[in-house]
Formats: sequence, C-alpha cells, structure tokens
Amino acid sequence: MAEASKTRGVIKFIVWGTIAVAISVMFWVEYFNGTMVSWYYYQAKSDGWAINSATFVNASKDKPAILEIGPFQKIEGLQAVPVKKGDRLPANTTGIIDKKTVQEGKRVTLEGNTLKVTVPSQIKEAKGFKYKDTFMHKGIQTYPWGGAASVAFILFLGLCLGLMAEGFTDMCGLKLEKIKHYEGGH
Amino acid sequence: MFEFIIAGMQAPIFLLVLTGMTVGMVGGFIGVGGGYMVTPALIVFGFPGYMASGIDVMHIAGKSVVATIRHRQLGNIDWILGLTMVGGTMMGVEMGVRILNYTKALGLSGIALLTGSVAIMIGLFLYTQVETHRSQKKINELTKDGKTVGRELSVSTLPVFFQSIALKPIVRCHTARLVISMWVIVIIGIATGVLAGFFGVGGGFIRVPALVYIAGATTHIAVGTDLLEIVVSGGYGALRQYMSGNVDMVAVWFMIIGAMFGAQFGSIATSFVRGPAIRYILSYSLLLATTGAFLRLIYMLTHQQYEFLNFLAVVFTLGEMLFLCLFIMTLVIFSVRHRHGKWVPGWIPSLVATP
Repeated sequence: MAEASKTRGVIKFIVWGTIAVAISVMFWVEYFNGTMVSWYYYQAKSDGWAINSATFVNASKDKPAILEIGPFQKIEGLQAVPVKKGDRLPANTTGIIDKKTVQEGKRVTLEGNTLKVTVPSQIKEAKGFKYKDTFMHKGIQTYPWGGAASVAFILFLGLCLGLMAEGFTDMCGLKLEKIKHYEGGH
Repeated sequence: MFEFIIAGMQAPIFLLVLTGMTVGMVGGFIGVGGGYMVTPALIVFGFPGYMASGIDVMHIAGKSVVATIRHRQLGNIDWILGLTMVGGTMMGVEMGVRILNYTKALGLSGIALLTGSVAIMIGLFLYTQVETHRSQKKINELTKDGKTVGRELSVSTLPVFFQSIALKPIVRCHTARLVISMWVIVIIGIATGVLAGFFGVGGGFIRVPALVYIAGATTHIAVGTDLLEIVVSGGYGALRQYMSGNVDMVAVWFMIIGAMFGAQFGSIATSFVRGPAIRYILSYSLLLATTGAFLRLIYMLTHQQYEFLNFLAVVFTLGEMLFLCLFIMTLVIFSVRHRHGKWVPGWIPSLVATP
C-alpha cells in the first residue's frame, strides 16, 4: 500500500515537475525573445513621442539628452518616434513623452526635429527608499490578452508546483492525512 | 543581480526568492496573501512603488494556488463556503475601491484612511487576542480535568447568533459542518471585500477572523477556504494590475519559486497545531502590521519631517516577516518534541495538536 502510494508520488512529481519546467522554459524564451516585453509596451495611451528611457538615465539641465525625432521601426539610442493614442509602439520603447509635457516645457522641449530632455528617467527620492519614474512606463497600454495569458500562466504554474510538491512528499513517504477537525470535541 | 527588462532596474534574485519563501510560509499558515509585507520589501529592493504592488498581487495569486492545493490535501477547504463567499468578496472589493475614489474626490485624506485601517486592525487584534487567550485557558482546564481536547476550541458566541438567522436559502457546508444562511456568507464576503478595497488592508486579515467568529468555521478551515478565495480575488487583482502596466513577470516568477517552498512548510505546519495557535499568530501579525501602519501615520501627521519613522516602518515590516517565520518554526519544532514526550515550555501543549 505504502509502496503504491510512493510510486504514485514519483509519477506525480515527475509529470507535474516536467510540466512546470516546460512552461517555465517557454516563459523564459518568450521573455528573452521580446514577446513579453512587447505585450507590456504594446500601444500608446496618449499622443506623444515613444522613447527608450534607458537612453537618458543621466540627463539633467546641465547635460540634456537630445532625442532625434523620426519614424523609426526600432528605437536605437537617442531617438523618439511620434505616436498617436492607440498606435502600436515601436520596438525598444519603454515610455511615452506626451504632448502636454512638451507643451509645458519644464522637463522636455521641442527644438526643431529634436526633443531636449532635462530630467533623468528615474529619480531616487531624497526621502526614504522610493524611486520616482519620469517617463519610464508612462503613457503605455499593455496587451489585454497578454494580461490574461500572464495570469493564466501564473495560476497554472502555481498548480503545477503545488501538485509537484504534493507528489514529492508522497514520494518521500510523508503522505499527509486529512486533519480530523472534529475529533476529540469542538 | 538580475536585470529586469520591464521594470527597468536591477535587483538581487536571492532576496526575491527569500521574500517569496518567507511570505509563502506566513501566508500558508495564517491564510493571508501577505501584500502588506511584500510591497515594502520590493520598494526597498529598488522596484518603483506601482511595480511593487503589481508584482505583489500577481505573486499572491500564484502562491495561493500552491498553498490551496496543500490545504485541500489536509482537508482544510470548504468549497461550498468558499465559492458562496467569492462573489460577495469580488463585489465588496469593487465597492470598496469605488467608495475610496468617491471619498478621495470629497477630499478625505490618506491620513483618515490610514487611521481607519489602524483602528480596524487594532480592534481585530484585541478581539482575537482576548478570545484566543480564553480558549487556551479553557483547553488547559479541560486537559486538567482529564478530558480530550480536539483540534479546535473557540469561546466566541458570535457564530451562534449568525447561524440562527434563518434567511433562505440555507447553505450546508459539509466540511465546515455549518448550516447557515447564504446571505450571511455573502454579506461576510461583501463586508470584508469593502474593507479590503477601501482601506487597502489585506482581505485575508479580515476574512479569516470573520469566518471563525461570524460563520463559525474552524480556524484551519477558515485558513484553507480563505486561500481559495485569494486565488480568485488575487487572479482578478493581478489582471487589473497587469492591464495598468504594473507587473514585471520575471520578478513574479522568482517569487513564486520561493513561495513554493514557503507555502508548503506553512500549510503543512497547520497540521501540527490547534486552532488557537493559528489565531495567535494571526493576531500578532495584525499587531505588527498595525505598528508599521501606525509609524507611517505618524510620519504623515508630522508632515513627513521625521524620515526615521518611515525607515522604521519599513524595517519593522521586514523584521515582522522574519519574526513570524521563526514563530511558526518554533511551534512546529515544539510540537514534534511534544509528540515524542520531550520537554516543551508550559504554554506549548495547549497550542499544539496531539496525534
């Protein structure tokens, strides 16, 4: 009886462990080939310019970053692509500088065919541990089906890991019995 | 250090896995998501605040599945109770968020919200502490009289009142051995959901005591059933967070791996203890979380002048994770020693389960 339970545990552990590894590998492949990143930076939520905020991490008033505006397919370095609300974002986009910000002219100004950025992409606040993003993650809309797929993936991964762990304890002979909630008085 | 492409920053993998593990252990034991612990930790690791809360919610959904599977094996889930309540909870959370937005529009400050949250947590802490202390005393008395004491003992009389409400339809929850009006369960869901959505405190903190003290479920079943609830509400919350652009899935993956180990230990640890032990740890975690919130409240009331208060609140929250894990491990170790007839402190026998 105990042997049969252990065998079932081994099978359960291997099957669910394999599925967990397989979906995790798929997850990492999708992450590194850029699919998951493109789900995140999917389309523009407002009119403005798509940018890669990593290119101006050290921008300041004294050392502004000058972004060249153009219809690029992929943002490489100091470039900005004009986008309208709902447009698909070009590759390597990490945020949007919206029109309102440019019109205000406090942090970004439009100079001919360039954008002059005078703030870094992320500021560590003087108080506490908090970080404040300037244009990173701003004005972007995620892919709705990407959200559904991500939640489904996490729930399924949890299921696989949970059943794998259950198989592992059975395999080790630590088969857990149901708790007798009402035995001995309640 | 790992470069998180979506979050746009670097953070140590080890700390993410460790955070997942510790919160998984505490969550698996007391049936809470643990968001109040994870978000400050992620901010300390360098994640922006909005990312921290998004990653937290997504990881809670996955972690709860792991813990729910183990609690199912231990017979701690009442599916009828959980699924009846889940609709009410979702409705309540949505109502809570809408009320929050409405009060914000009216100009009600964050200070008022934080005060309300602190007051609710203190109230729950006091009630749980007093009731659990009385239950422990009762267990000691019964043991002295030579009577056998089971897994659960609660001296609260509130469930008797709520179970006597004969508003149809009446639900029969077989695992929890409850015969109760469906409306009582739905209203518990709505009320706990509203509080969770409005005050931003974790639903589990309120739902577990509500299931014990209002519905009359045993603590173990309340924990397991609450985790089932968190799978549904956490999944919904995770979807909303993803749509708002607050989630880096890789950080979630690392935390889930850690949570797998922690949630296993936390869930299995419930089989070593009696109900009052879980309620004690739940009340202590309430107290510690309240202290963190209280420090933040003073920080805000003093117009953010005293930075050390904010720092202390974060340190307190992180220290709490470690303290609760050590407490759970201590209980398990003493339970095993007690089963083998070895010496244990005097307060242990009434809290641990005898085989």
